[in-house]
Amino acid sequence: MSGHVSIRGLTKRYDAVDVLKGIDLDIEAGEFFSLLGPSGCGKTTLLRTIAGFETPDAGTLTISGSDMAGVPPNQRPTNMVFQSYAIFPHLSVADNVGFGLKRAGIERTPALIDEMLELVGLAGLGGRAAHALSGGQRQRVALARTLILKPKVLLLDEPLSALDKKLREQMQSELRRLQRQVGITFVLVTHDQEEALILSDRVAVMFDGRIAQLAAPEQLYRAPASRAVAEFIGLMNFVPAEIKGDQLVIPGLGHMTRPDGTTSGAIDVGLRPETLSILGDDERATHEARGTVGDRTYYGDMTTYAVTLESGSTVNIAMKNTASQRIYDVGDTVRISWEPESLVIF
Amino acid sequence: MYLPILLLPLFAFNDSTIIAFPLQGFTLVWFRELGQVEALHAALRNSLFIAVITAALSTLFGLIAARAGQVAFPGRGPIFGLLLLPLVLPEIIVAVSLLVVAVQLLGLPTSSFTVIAAHTLICTPFSIAILNGAFSGLDPSLEEAARDLGENRLSAFFKVTFPLVAPGLIASFLIAFTISLDEFIIAFFLTGNDPTLPVYIWSLLRFPARLPVVMALGTLLVVASIILLTLAEIARRRSARRLGQTDSGGFL
Repeated sequence: MSGHVSIRGLTKRYDAVDVLKGIDLDIEAGEFFSLLGPSGCGKTTLLRTIAGFETPDAGTLTISGSDMAGVPPNQRPTNMVFQSYAIFPHLSVADNVGFGLKRAGIERTPALIDEMLELVGLAGLGGRAAHALSGGQRQRVALARTLILKPKVLLLDEPLSALDKKLREQMQSELRRLQRQVGITFVLVTHDQEEALILSDRVAVMFDGRIAQLAAPEQLYRAPASRAVAEFIGLMNFVPAEIKGDQLVIPGLGHMTRPDGTTSGAIDVGLRPETLSILGDDERATHEARGTVGDRTYYGDMTTYAVTLESGSTVNIAMKNTASQRIYDVGDTVRISWEPESLVIF
Repeated sequence: MYLPILLLPLFAFNDSTIIAFPLQGFTLVWFRELGQVEALHAALRNSLFIAVITAALSTLFGLIAARAGQVAFPGRGPIFGLLLLPLVLPEIIVAVSLLVVAVQLLGLPTSSFTVIAAHTLICTPFSIAILNGAFSGLDPSLEEAARDLGENRLSAFFKVTFPLVAPGLIASFLIAFTISLDEFIIAFFLTGNDPTLPVYIWSLLRFPARLPVVMALGTLLVVASIILLTLAEIARRRSARRLGQTDSGGFL
């Protein structure tokens, strides 16, 4: 299929460090795929291997069914948006956008350049000198310069990390729009979990040269495969618990029916802060517990509380600040509720 | 400090063979005489030949070294230190040791080519320093981006890196040219039967009657050097501006 990336057993070693330790991955044609992980996890190396700038030590890489072994970057059906954008400073915006046309065998017409500039929201700026552009504009030129070549796969190396927060949010929605509009495979490298969740159809979380979990954003957030993934994606409370017979006993919170597939013994359960809530005086819940407010952080749209349970464990609770919602004080004794269905077992 | 240099044009236009105040009157006769001395023309041609070849060679070596310096490799620091060493070596030491190597060990006759070799040695560090500056401001992703957009390694270099460092190449060429043109000690030791311009000027000093001609020649050389170095600095600043850097000061 056009734009399908298939990776099998890919390894890469620098000096004495294994950067990629056997990556197996299929990126579907036309999907927005993200490689998410902390710095040094190998995500950029994997992206550069797809682009052809790194040669793997072992393993295979095929794009649209053709083997990429020994194929240099200029002959691959991929294009890349670099972290620094790598806009050619000695050329005009139009010359940057048209840079690859001749080699790609596409005729350069003013109409084509204008069409691309309009697609990325830079209409009328073709004559501008590239070094006079702002960060956001450089980003757009970098996108136009690659999209004009109609690659099968577009590779994006932390394209938004150099932008300030507001511009980043604006570019995120534009990236999403562009990807739907042109319909080609996007592979994004990012260390920003929020960005990965917002943009992607599927996300591969990478730690230490391996893929720790590959899933759609909702699944990644709701059912992280490991404690490391859970810690990296959003916030999560970890509370020690124990399986006793057909019951899961969580000291300080209560007990519930033992979930399927769990083995007996000591385990940790994970609870997202927004699945816990502090109950008002007249509210009742199936699963209740007691605790004391130890700390409070006010964010405007919500307030988070660190509540110490009777067992001594502390959990973070996020409460929406609706008009009727009471704001609790440090030291208040509160009743809290939790949902067995949103609990994750580790 | 610049006062002696200001005296050069003063006496170059003075209508007397004696270099002393008071001035006698305005004349262009010394400049006219410059145009008639065949030996001087030969020395000038020789100097220009040496300076052009030296500038081209040291810029080429500087380009190679600066390009190699883009990649971190073991021993990079010490190697660059060694390359820049001629900057601080006394020229007389360089001159004497090269003379010994060329004549005693290699059996080469002293000629314009031994001067070119020696001048290239002392000019290359300047070229490396200038071109290192031009290369260090380059984003390594630029060449990768060109390759990603369809260029091969060589064409990516010539389409992207080369135009961006071109002002640096011009600056390097002009500075090496100026250094070679003005250099005396090494040329004095290594030049054979074809003296360079500074060596020829030195030989003129033995004839007091010719002194005003030397003043006239010196005046022209000062003007030419200032023009060349100004061009070099303009080229260097353009290079910095092209890369969108703030100017961090160069040689001048």
